[in-house]
Amino acid sequence: MGDGDPRARTVAATERAATKRSQTVSTMLVAGAGLAALGLGSLTRTAPSKDVLVYPDPAACAAEGIRPADACRSEYATARAAYPRTAPHYDTLDACARHHGSFRCLTDATATGPQGIVPRMAGYMIGRSAAQGVTPEPVYDHASGHGGHNGHGGSYCTGSGSRVSTGSGGSASSGKLVASKGKTAFGGFGGSGKSFSSFGS
Amino acid sequence: MRRIPIGERPDWRARAQEAGFTFHTIDGAPYWDESHAYAFTLREIEDDIEGPAGDLHALCLDFAAAAVADERILASLRIPESAWDAVRESWHRGDPSLYGRLDFSYGGTGPAKLLEYNADTPTALYETAVFQWLWLEEGLRDGRLPPGSDQFNAVHERLIDRLRRLAPAGLTGFAAEAAAPEDIGTAAYLQDCAVQAGCATILLDLAQIGLRADGAFCGPDERPLATLFKLYPWEWAFRDAFGAAIGAASTRFLEPPWKMVLSNKGLLAHLWARAPGHPNLLPCFFEDDPACAGLAGDYVRKPLLSREGANIEMFSGDLRIAGAEGPYGAEGFVRQALAELPAFDGRRPLVGAWMVGDAPAGLCIRESEGPITGDGALFVPHLIEPG
Repeated sequence: MGDGDPRARTVAATERAATKRSQTVSTMLVAGAGLAALGLGSLTRTAPSKDVLVYPDPAACAAEGIRPADACRSEYATARAAYPRTAPHYDTLDACARHHGSFRCLTDATATGPQGIVPRMAGYMIGRSAAQGVTPEPVYDHASGHGGHNGHGGSYCTGSGSRVSTGSGGSASSGKLVASKGKTAFGGFGGSGKSFSSFGS
Repeated sequence: MRRIPIGERPDWRARAQEAGFTFHTIDGAPYWDESHAYAFTLREIEDDIEGPAGDLHALCLDFAAAAVADERILASLRIPESAWDAVRESWHRGDPSLYGRLDFSYGGTGPAKLLEYNADTPTALYETAVFQWLWLEEGLRDGRLPPGSDQFNAVHERLIDRLRRLAPAGLTGFAAEAAAPEDIGTAAYLQDCAVQAGCATILLDLAQIGLRADGAFCGPDERPLATLFKLYPWEWAFRDAFGAAIGAASTRFLEPPWKMVLSNKGLLAHLWARAPGHPNLLPCFFEDDPACAGLAGDYVRKPLLSREGANIEMFSGDLRIAGAEGPYGAEGFVRQALAELPAFDGRRPLVGAWMVGDAPAGLCIRESEGPITGDGALFVPHLIEPG
């Protein structure tokens, strides 16, 4: 990941000549938490899974004081790196503005297809707790009045189309993912493997 | 190919802790073992493993194309009819695969022989890509390994590159059984690679996967998943309550459903029928095929679906010489000509060739005492000796 990321563990290959192995190997998440700890300790099903934190930038995150400044910077860097891939793409500025508001959209210089318009990154979202297993991702302004907007001030959406409402929580950064329309069913995978202790090979 | 005593790094457990490799010892038994290593020549790696792995994978893709066009093949693999459309559509859409592991019997003498293709839910990935790599780098740095030693292991770089190319926009989920450290560890490692590839991700226990009213799979926060990596065999996923929703879902899966036709021991019989005499294949037949008689009593009986060596039985001169217990076998069996794993100092290595996308990317070795490689097999690092 980005230079200066305090969590990234990077080791350069001793020789840079043509080899049969990776030139560098770095991990961000697993070096911090440990592979099994990521799963065993923290994937609790009681986590308040829709509660998130939303910041416009790392400075706002650091100013709030509930996370170390270097964590704020590395989380922002991760979200920023995910922006090109995860931003919603639109055919026209009008279509983008209808979703995200006027003057919130721009041309994606890297786009090759017809869908060359993306919203600006308005900020980024992280899980309220590590138990959510969520990595930082960009959020975008969500135009009021679009798609049955609920009227909250400070509303964002994610690249996958989910809405995040803010402003009703205890701090400026508190956000909540808005439930999808209709009922979501859970627990429909895993049953057939119950008599087996692991599924890998 | 040699088995060489290297001696373990005195601080390797601390190094494992730092690196996040928490399952180096499983239920009190060793899993990672660096007291020795396997040394290959570059020729052995390139001519005997890398080249054949790429060739066999290409044969497998040809077979997959034939399988989705022929219901008799899907039926021979005991793929339930309810899954056929999803398998066929994922193939015709060109849904990409991420990774897989071809397991070989190979000892440096004669061609590597394919024992199975773990095409759907392979583990031992992090150990290969990261911790084995660190072992080599530290061995070179500290003079424990000869200068110029190398390793067939571009897995980490290739995974990130592959994820960068194939992951669609939107959210990518990584799901595994959270109570199984190797499984959730593999999913967490791939999540890490995906973040480095610029993906937005979420790590999930299998039980946390949800199905939205609009037909997309999701995590507990109900955000729709554009892509879902699941370390959970397709044959069970299709049998589960959500199985009927897979085909129509907007979510794309890693591995895609068409990998079902490769992650099946019936593949071995079909490959032999399509390429009889291939130097890297062993004669193999479905158990009800009269051609089994040609194996002359020296064969390995394998369930179509099984993992980690379970329910494998070995016969020599029609006598059962080894067998492993397990819960598999309901779908039937193949018989494959016996190619015993080579013995090095009385230990038996199984050579796994990793595929990332459609290209061979690295190697791992699992070493056991007995002739069948089970889930207690040790992970032993390897190196390529300087030329």
